[in-house]
Amino acid sequence: MYKKLIIASSIASGVFGISSQANAEETIFVGHLADMSGPTAFVGKPYADGVRDSLAYINSHGGISGTKLEYETIDYAYKVPQAIASYKKWQSRKNMVAMQGWGTADTEALISFAAKDQTPVFSASYSGHLTDPKGLNPNTKKPAPYNFFYGASYSDSCRGLVQWAAKDWQAKGAKGKPKFTHIGANHPFPNAPKAACAEYATELGFEVQPAVVISMKPGDFKAQCLSLKSSGTNYGYIGNLGGSVQSLIKSCNTVGTEIQFMSNIWGGDKLVFKAAGEGIKDYIFPTMTPFWTDEVPGMKLVREISKMSDSSGSEERLHHYIRGVCSTFFMKESMEWAKANGGVTGENVKKGMYAQKNWVPKGLEGVCLAATWTPEDHRGINQVNIYKGNFNGGDIRVEKADQVTLERRVDWLGY
Amino acid sequence: MSSLAMRPCGDFRTSYKKDNTIFETKTIRLVAILAIAAACLAPLVLDGYFLTLFIQISYLGIAALGLNILVGFTGQISLGHGAFFGFGAFASAWLNTSFNIPVALCIPMAGFLTMAVGMMFGMPAARIKGLYLAIATLAAQFIIEDFFARAEWFSGGSSGSMAAPVNLLGFEFDTDQSFYYIALFALVFMYIWGCNLMRSRDGRAFVAVRDHYLSAEIMGVKLNKYRLLSFGISSFYAGIGGALYAHYLGYVSAEGFTIFMSIQFLAMIIIGGLGSIKGTLMGVIFMVLLPEMLETGVGLMKYTDWGNIPMVTDGLAYIKEMAIGLVIILFLIFEPEGLAHRWAQIKNYWKFYPFSY
Repeated sequence: MYKKLIIASSIASGVFGISSQANAEETIFVGHLADMSGPTAFVGKPYADGVRDSLAYINSHGGISGTKLEYETIDYAYKVPQAIASYKKWQSRKNMVAMQGWGTADTEALISFAAKDQTPVFSASYSGHLTDPKGLNPNTKKPAPYNFFYGASYSDSCRGLVQWAAKDWQAKGAKGKPKFTHIGANHPFPNAPKAACAEYATELGFEVQPAVVISMKPGDFKAQCLSLKSSGTNYGYIGNLGGSVQSLIKSCNTVGTEIQFMSNIWGGDKLVFKAAGEGIKDYIFPTMTPFWTDEVPGMKLVREISKMSDSSGSEERLHHYIRGVCSTFFMKESMEWAKANGGVTGENVKKGMYAQKNWVPKGLEGVCLAATWTPEDHRGINQVNIYKGNFNGGDIRVEKADQVTLERRVDWLGY
Repeated sequence: MSSLAMRPCGDFRTSYKKDNTIFETKTIRLVAILAIAAACLAPLVLDGYFLTLFIQISYLGIAALGLNILVGFTGQISLGHGAFFGFGAFASAWLNTSFNIPVALCIPMAGFLTMAVGMMFGMPAARIKGLYLAIATLAAQFIIEDFFARAEWFSGGSSGSMAAPVNLLGFEFDTDQSFYYIALFALVFMYIWGCNLMRSRDGRAFVAVRDHYLSAEIMGVKLNKYRLLSFGISSFYAGIGGALYAHYLGYVSAEGFTIFMSIQFLAMIIIGGLGSIKGTLMGVIFMVLLPEMLETGVGLMKYTDWGNIPMVTDGLAYIKEMAIGLVIILFLIFEPEGLAHRWAQIKNYWKFYPFSY
């Protein structure tokens, strides 16, 4: 009787053990850091909505090949200590497999932790130095082996814009060397592409002017516009976010500059056009996805994803939202690969990112650009779609101006 | 009174030595020693999340103590403490990567470098005070922030700077568990040092300068010297805190060291108690744990059916941010002397019980 009891209880505990293990394997945890109330919430909110809706959509449509995603969104308001604490909480309590991050501050603070914990971090910080996972470029300060982002780096986007500017200068039939100026706050985010872009502009025959510093917050920038006017700048690259772009355009219109403004990926969207109003003319900005109203095959899925938080489907999403969707779906497919090849672990998710070349997540054809990540090169996208926007009395017109594919130069890796 | 086990009901200190003890009673001393011993065992039972919070408390606590020495003890003001904290972080990383100096030495050296910079910016303190000094230190904040963005040789510019983990005799303190001991040691060391400083001649001079500068000068306290020294010591603490932060993260980027950080340091010492060493630590613990507690509260809502929709969670995110501000305002109204004062009142309550006087 005693023996039977022992056997029965050991079998029972074995079964419970297995079932609890099976339960533990049923979900995998993805952390999501978002800035919805901090200084970058202007674009942080739509991007975070894209990630959140995608995670919810993936779960409601079978998860990762049957495995549910457990996720938590934390609004860290762009404060580094809170980002670190959230990361550690997820890591030590939830056994986090991958993380969807946000800005430069949190992404850079977590580089070492992510590498040590072998946890892929998909962020919306497009700093060039995150693209060198092995530190192959001697200029790379810190290799970032577990960092991924969907889109061209800030440096590559700026290089694409400079290429467009060179063509534009020729098309206008202008003589002499065009003048190029970097405009932005003196902070890591606007400065990220400054040196790389200036070097390439010089290579293409531009005369690079000293950078003009404007604050990240909206304000009166007439003095800076006067210096842009006096230097005779033809092409100005704006490294800031939307808020200060509006002020800059208004100030420069008052001063009467004739500059072709080009912005980084966060500085151009329909909200900026709405706020800037009539003054905004032929404003150039890059995108990595089409717009909400574009008819491409994958947009059907994006609209379905959007219904996760807007059941009416009437809300028009910005292209930042769609980039959040792409970032999450690339992660999803690498997780599916990981599940089929030894289980969803951080290490395998990373390998999953390298498993295919020139791939677009299923269902998002025409929305996400074909991307390739390799163990030596994390420049997933080297294509820059350039758009031109106008206000036209409230009818915001955005049209494609060019498409630039940059070569994967070795000296540009991590720079 | 250190020979007594409990606090006597009345003040019987009859010598300077008795007035100057760190621990008022045997019990307090014993509790402090036991608390440190228990803290040494913490990594065996606590997970990475709690350890991270403790590490944050220690590096922010060291820097905040520096600010309290300046503001609370000497009566000066600084709105540039966040920048000094950042300077310490970059300086330590720079010393390590450029000159191959072991990290364990870089941390105190970064403290001294920050001290030099702090004294440079503290020089106006010899001539100005109050609001004028606040604006001068605010200028320091912006100048140093700009320096981080421009001085590529020092801070790596926009790419930031790499900071190797602490390495002692071949052992790398690169996990939460191991770095915890570095943080604990630094915290205890710097706080004991802070306590001793305040018991010393220089510490008394700081307090004299704060309480009445004219009387202090008449008594022979050199105002300029002590005002400047206070800036130096304050920056030294900020530098040590910053260096620990850098080597914990392994990477420093200029983005974090803004005016908001400086204001947060001020909030910490005001909430904790100006001119109180244990109050500083209380304020730091409060400020580090408050957002986490509120996040947990907000997080509980997400587990309900009606709470896990973006409209509610987004709303809560804003409420969380507002609640932090509200709690600080309430503190300033109802507890202007900080947590240290509240703690003293709680102790008094028990001491006088059942009487309230």
